[in-house]
Amino acid sequence: MPEAVVSAERLSKSFGAKEVLREITAIAEPGDVIGVLGKNGAGKTTLLEVLLGFGPPTSGTARLFGEESMRLSERAKARIGFVPQQDELIDMLTGEQQLKLTSVFYRSWDRELARRLISEWEIPMDRTIRKLSPGERQKLALVLALGHRPDLLVLDEPVASLDPIARRAFLKQLLDVTGSENRTVLFSSHIVSDLERAANKVWILKHGELIWQGELDALKESVVRLHVRGRRKLTGSLGIPNALSERVHGTHATVAVASWDPRDEARLAARLDADVEAEPLGLEDIFVELHAGR
Amino acid sequence: MFVLNPQSGTPIYRQLMDQVRRLVASGQLAPGTPLPSVRELALEHAVNPMTISKAYHLLELEGVLVRNRGKPMTVAARSPRAAPRAQRRKQLQADIRQLVFAARQLELDKEDVVALIEENWEDENAGSGRQRRKT
Repeated sequence: MPEAVVSAERLSKSFGAKEVLREITAIAEPGDVIGVLGKNGAGKTTLLEVLLGFGPPTSGTARLFGEESMRLSERAKARIGFVPQQDELIDMLTGEQQLKLTSVFYRSWDRELARRLISEWEIPMDRTIRKLSPGERQKLALVLALGHRPDLLVLDEPVASLDPIARRAFLKQLLDVTGSENRTVLFSSHIVSDLERAANKVWILKHGELIWQGELDALKESVVRLHVRGRRKLTGSLGIPNALSERVHGTHATVAVASWDPRDEARLAARLDADVEAEPLGLEDIFVELHAGR
Repeated sequence: MFVLNPQSGTPIYRQLMDQVRRLVASGQLAPGTPLPSVRELALEHAVNPMTISKAYHLLELEGVLVRNRGKPMTVAARSPRAAPRAQRRKQLQADIRQLVFAARQLELDKEDVVALIEENWEDENAGSGRQRRKT
C-alpha cells in the first residue's frame, strides 16, 4: 500500500466545551482528489487546519507524509500548498511584488507554471492587491499555492468567490496540475457540483463526525432512492434496512437507502408485494438524504 | 463524442463505459479506432482523470478496448461486425425501464411516449446523427 499523504486517527478537537471534531479516522493516498463536504459549521475548516498542524488535536493524531502535523520538518512543509478561506495576501503590494515575495521562500518554485497560470487566469499583476476583485484575489492565492508544485494541495472553499465560468476554468487547471503528477488534493466546498467533477473521493462531515468517506463512485452506487408501488395500500414503516428517509402516500412510497445492493430489489418487491425501482442519486441529493432526520 | 454528466446519479465512469460499449456494438467505433487519451477527456469534461482511466481499464478487462504501449487505447478487433441486434437491444433495456417508469409516474400513456420518441428520433437524424455516422 502506498504511504498515506494525510492521515487522521481518532482525531478530536474541542474549543472549550464545544466539540468541533469527533474521532475522525481517515487517510488520503497519493493522487487522491478528496472533496470535503459538509454544511456550514460541520467542522470542515477546523479539520483542514488541524490536519495541517495549525493547532493541536484535543486527542488522536494528525499526520502529513508520515510526520506528526504539529512537528513537521521543513522538508515536509515545502511539500504543502495551502489556500485558506480568507487569503493572506498583503493588500498594499502589487500582485507582482507578492509573487516575488512568496517565490523566494521556495527552492522548487516553478516560474514557468506561475507565469502560465497568471496569463491564463488573466490576473492583473501590476495592480495593488487591495484593488483586485475577490475572484482575482482568489486566483492569485491559488497561483501562489501551486507555484512550488506541492505534493499536497489543501484548499479551503477554493472557488467560493469565482463565477461559474471561472470555477470551471479553475477546476480544469486543478485537474491538469494534479492529474499528471500524482499530487494529492484536499479541498472543502459546499458547491457540490464542483466536488462531483473534480473529486474521486469524498469525506462527508456532519456535526464534526465523518459520516462517509470513500470513492465518490461507490457512494453513488450505494445510496439510492427506491420507488415502491404497491398493489395494495402501504401502511406504516416498510422496514427497509439502512433507510435514511421514508415517505409513504397510499400505494406509493419513496425511500432513500444507504448501502443498497441491487440484488435486494427482487426480494424486497416480493415481501412488499410491490414494484420496486431504484433511482440513482446525484451527490447533492445524497448529501441531503444523509442529513435527513436525526 | 461522449456526453458526461457529473451531476447524474450514474457515476461518470459508468456513463462512459455505457457509451463506449454502445458505439462499439453499433459499429460506430470500428475495431482499431483510437480513443481520446485519459488526460484529453478529463480536461475536456473537467472531470477527475481517475474516473476516465477506471472506465478504460474496465473496458479493457471486458475486451472492448485494447491498451497499446505509448499509444492511445483502441477498440478491440474482436468483433469485425457490429454486435447482433438482440445484444444491442439488451443494452438499451435499463434505459427503457427508466423511461417507462418515469412515464408511468407522469401518467403518460404508451402512445404519448412513442410519439415523443418519434419526435426526438427525427431531431437526432437531422442533427448530430448524420455527423456521427462518419466516425
